[in-house]
Amino acid sequence: MIKATSRRSFLRGLGGSTLSLPWLESLAEPAAAPMQRFALFYVPIGVVRRGFFPGEGEGIIPKFRGGNGVPLEKPQTLTAGTHEWNLTATQKPLAGLKDKMTFLSGLDRTYLHGTDVHAQCASCFLSSATPTSVKDSPYPLDRTLDHLVADSMGGSTPFRTLEFSCNSHRDNKESIQFDNVSWYGTGHVAPSIRDPRKAYQRLFGAGEAKTYLNITDLVLEDAKAMQRNLGYRDREKFGEYFDSIRTIEEQISKLEKMRSELAKVDIEEPPESHLPRGEYIRLMGDLMVAALQAGLTQVATFMVGPERWDTPFTYDSLFDKPMSHHKMSHNQGKFINELLQLDRFHMEQFAYLAEKMDNIQESDGSSLLDNTLFTYGSGLGDGSTHQYSDLPIIVAGSGGGKFQTGKHVHFSQGTPLANLWLTQAQAMGSEMNRFADSTGVLKQTFA
Amino acid sequence: MRLLLTAGFFLFTVTSSTHGADSFSTLIQPLFAKNCTGCHGENDKVKGKVNLLEIESLSQLSGHTELLEELVDVIEYEEMPPEDEPQLTKRERGDLLAELESLLHKSINAKKVYPQAPMRRMTRFQYSNAVEDLFDLKVTVFTLPEEMLREIKPYFDPASGVMPQKAGVGCRPLGKSQLIQPRLGRVAAFPQDLRAEHGFDNRGDHLSLSPLLMESFLKLSRSIFDSPDFQAKNCGKWQEWFADPGTGDLEAELRRRISEILYSAFRSEVDEVTIDRYTELALAKAEAGLPFTDTIKLVGAAALASPRFLYLYDGANSDDMSESASDYELASRLSFFLWGSIPDRELLELAASGNLSEPEELRMQAERLLNDKKLKRFCDSFPSQWLQLDRLVSSQPDPDEHPEFYFAKFRVSMHMMLEPLLLFETVLIENRPLIELIDPDFSFRSDLLKSWYATGKRGKSTPPTMIVYDRVPITDRREGGVITNAAVMTMTSNATRTQPITRGAWIGAVVFNDPPEPPPGDVPALTEEPGHGEENMTLRERLDAHRERKDCKGCHAQIDPLGFAMENYGPTGLWRDSYENGRKVDSEGVLFRKYPFNTPVEFKDAILAEKERFVSGFAGHLLSFALGRELAPADSLAIDGALDNCRDSDFPFRDIIKEIVVSESFRYKSNFPEPSALAKAP
Repeated sequence: MIKATSRRSFLRGLGGSTLSLPWLESLAEPAAAPMQRFALFYVPIGVVRRGFFPGEGEGIIPKFRGGNGVPLEKPQTLTAGTHEWNLTATQKPLAGLKDKMTFLSGLDRTYLHGTDVHAQCASCFLSSATPTSVKDSPYPLDRTLDHLVADSMGGSTPFRTLEFSCNSHRDNKESIQFDNVSWYGTGHVAPSIRDPRKAYQRLFGAGEAKTYLNITDLVLEDAKAMQRNLGYRDREKFGEYFDSIRTIEEQISKLEKMRSELAKVDIEEPPESHLPRGEYIRLMGDLMVAALQAGLTQVATFMVGPERWDTPFTYDSLFDKPMSHHKMSHNQGKFINELLQLDRFHMEQFAYLAEKMDNIQESDGSSLLDNTLFTYGSGLGDGSTHQYSDLPIIVAGSGGGKFQTGKHVHFSQGTPLANLWLTQAQAMGSEMNRFADSTGVLKQTFA
Repeated sequence: MRLLLTAGFFLFTVTSSTHGADSFSTLIQPLFAKNCTGCHGENDKVKGKVNLLEIESLSQLSGHTELLEELVDVIEYEEMPPEDEPQLTKRERGDLLAELESLLHKSINAKKVYPQAPMRRMTRFQYSNAVEDLFDLKVTVFTLPEEMLREIKPYFDPASGVMPQKAGVGCRPLGKSQLIQPRLGRVAAFPQDLRAEHGFDNRGDHLSLSPLLMESFLKLSRSIFDSPDFQAKNCGKWQEWFADPGTGDLEAELRRRISEILYSAFRSEVDEVTIDRYTELALAKAEAGLPFTDTIKLVGAAALASPRFLYLYDGANSDDMSESASDYELASRLSFFLWGSIPDRELLELAASGNLSEPEELRMQAERLLNDKKLKRFCDSFPSQWLQLDRLVSSQPDPDEHPEFYFAKFRVSMHMMLEPLLLFETVLIENRPLIELIDPDFSFRSDLLKSWYATGKRGKSTPPTMIVYDRVPITDRREGGVITNAAVMTMTSNATRTQPITRGAWIGAVVFNDPPEPPPGDVPALTEEPGHGEENMTLRERLDAHRERKDCKGCHAQIDPLGFAMENYGPTGLWRDSYENGRKVDSEGVLFRKYPFNTPVEFKDAILAEKERFVSGFAGHLLSFALGRELAPADSLAIDGALDNCRDSDFPFRDIIKEIVVSESFRYKSNFPEPSALAKAP
């Protein structure tokens, strides 16, 4: 488990009761119910099945298969329906919080032939558009769930959404599809922050942003004049400039209103030094939780690492030399123990953040976690077979009592992951009745 | 990239009669039925997503420009039918090719529409160059790790037409000391742009903007002027724009300077309304007590955040046909292509006078830009992306097997990386034939590299701050060129062995501009260690044994020979005659089903024999980079034209660039005002 004592002092107090509430008062009526939150914890490159899934502990170690991931023969012991949830080896770090979580197995996605198998893992995880709906891109990629949820929430927070990634690679090895789970639309990435200092300054910085305001007025006028002279496709694309400037202006004015209360936050600016991997992930996670807690945003996505990206990382305490998650995943026979350690390491980070959220009390006595749907998930059901089926999914929190937690639900083959996304969107108040390739909601998760 | 290499023979007319007996029913369809539709249409088999059964008439086929191009390609290069299927007779192939080419040219000319290059924000690299040029800065704006080959001791002088015998250079990944350049302190850069799949990092369709990035731009533009280093001694435009005039009409002075700044930053005429707007703000600030210099800085920060600075874009066409880009648009295209930056005064003045769009003027300007030291920016962005050299940064051969590869904090690969880049710069500066990129009689090597190639040892290690590369003759053709160098051979290997298929895919994509499709289905992998019974196999035999599926063979028959040709180069680029198990390396193969080879040198001979395939592929890479978009059939005319005009001189690099610049692809735009049937094609 994480050694709490190794945490840096500047983080102390962030999740503690001293910061429990006061800043929300400027945004919400005191007696109103706490706002709902939506967050994703994305794990790249799949998991080792025998460590993660019940009944597969003695399963065969799969051989590498490239391409579009023909699923592993699965022991057919598990029937569709609700089961008692006995934590598997990889899930052990969740022991203290199991009652507030739901484990979902058997959910599938569709891989669309034509791009690299990893390139769709994260980039299309929150969209999985039907193959025919996206015409001008080989990726089944459309506006992702986090943005659709934010759309329906109405945007009372300074940031509509926040995107975090713990990608500390310095080489430029992969394309944008490998480092982004959040997209405004096909081909329009919502880039993530990789640097904790930049994240801190954006969220809790001294408010220098307002000095841009006289500039933004000026350049918006330029943009309007320029737009009249563009072709029709560019006019469409150029919407991104107006959106960006308006979003920033709204952000500035909402942040200004919260400024005095944000100033009370007892959080120091992260140091510039290199952090060991675990600390880096938890620091970014702390910032995400603080943003959700403070009402800076209701919607956040968090990539614990980029998809594929072969360059080795140093996983501080885990291995004595830098290791590549992706390269190991192709050789489970040799690296099974290392991979299991790594899966467990990622689960510990998820547990740490969920626990942190559960320790934050909100105005009605419930915890931040209670009011959140915080989903752990990976785009592959196994890093070795590259299967897009039977994905590892755990939902922490109940989104304000919408999900019944503490159980394991297994779905029959072919149940789209999009059904979970549709269920979550509805639980967050969206009126959509279909999302991507969904076929319905997951009734088994309802409270 | 699919190209037409045989332009000029399409006067061939097709006899058609009123009874519907045209070349489709008399020639094309019967041959499709005899040799093609078995895999491309019948019984739901649609290999490569090509269904020829769907094509039922001449007019239908004529409408499919891209399909026609693909058909011409596979028929001309004898890629289809596959080797193990019944073949077309020579006569059939000739007739079919002539007819398809004729149809293709008609099809292109009937609706000559070039694809639209989407408007796009600048890349980080372009932004930094543009700010540097706009204010004539003597220091860089922020450090660019994109620059792999850094000039430490000045050697890059394209106007001289000669690359010196020695180059003192640094390499970005060699260490932190390589990053220290005079720059503007405390400037907040934004993250490096990731590349597009199979494309350059300037590709329009993936350079988008988001609130997060826009915030970075706002912050960046402010921090540039707040930097303590943004001052008279580092800024060539200080006196002209920033220095306080002391006396005179404040408003007139502001207006005059603002017009100039905006004109350069927006690289186009700026209307009075816009100038008024900026002047009004500046005047209000100045009258409220903001010092003059700070007022101009505020204007500068706004200009850098304006979409007219940040975006590369063309105005709308007048109707739904492709038309000439405006002179100002051409000025930007040219400067961003060769300088990675905004146009200079001279280009803008030529644009203002309306002369730039004259092809001869354009050619002269291309020559001028090619002679300018700012050409280094082209060399800092195009070749490393073209050769995918970033892959070498993460290459880590097994340290137990390759102990010499690592020394102190460094790796031999960092010396390797600069060798093909220096070759590239030389071929460009000296305007040498492009084929010398493949088979040159010289190279640039550091002492370490000389020792590495000769002995597999590093020799004495070099201090990393500056490495001197000497121009050395290549007498052994197994060495030299962008393929057979240690950098490419190392980065296409994994930790323990060479990867012929990876190498083949690299050669296909980079050398012939024909990247293979991603592998279908569940491709069986090769384990790192030979399995039981495989101990005495060569790598080729092992791979053959693992490739069970017949439907993989089609592609692999094309990719694999390219990679196996390189099997004599081990995982760190060193020559080997045999494997560790004693078996002799087998690099035999056939290129394009025409040229048998037994050695890498014979493989080079085969490329030389098909030189134009390399040259046209390379010209395609250049054009795609120049335009920031994917190419379409209409673009093949530009490439054919460039080849035709440079054939007699054996395709010298700069001449090819100039031909590209004067081509219609480069000069035309397709920003249609409204969606229309025509605008959707091709």
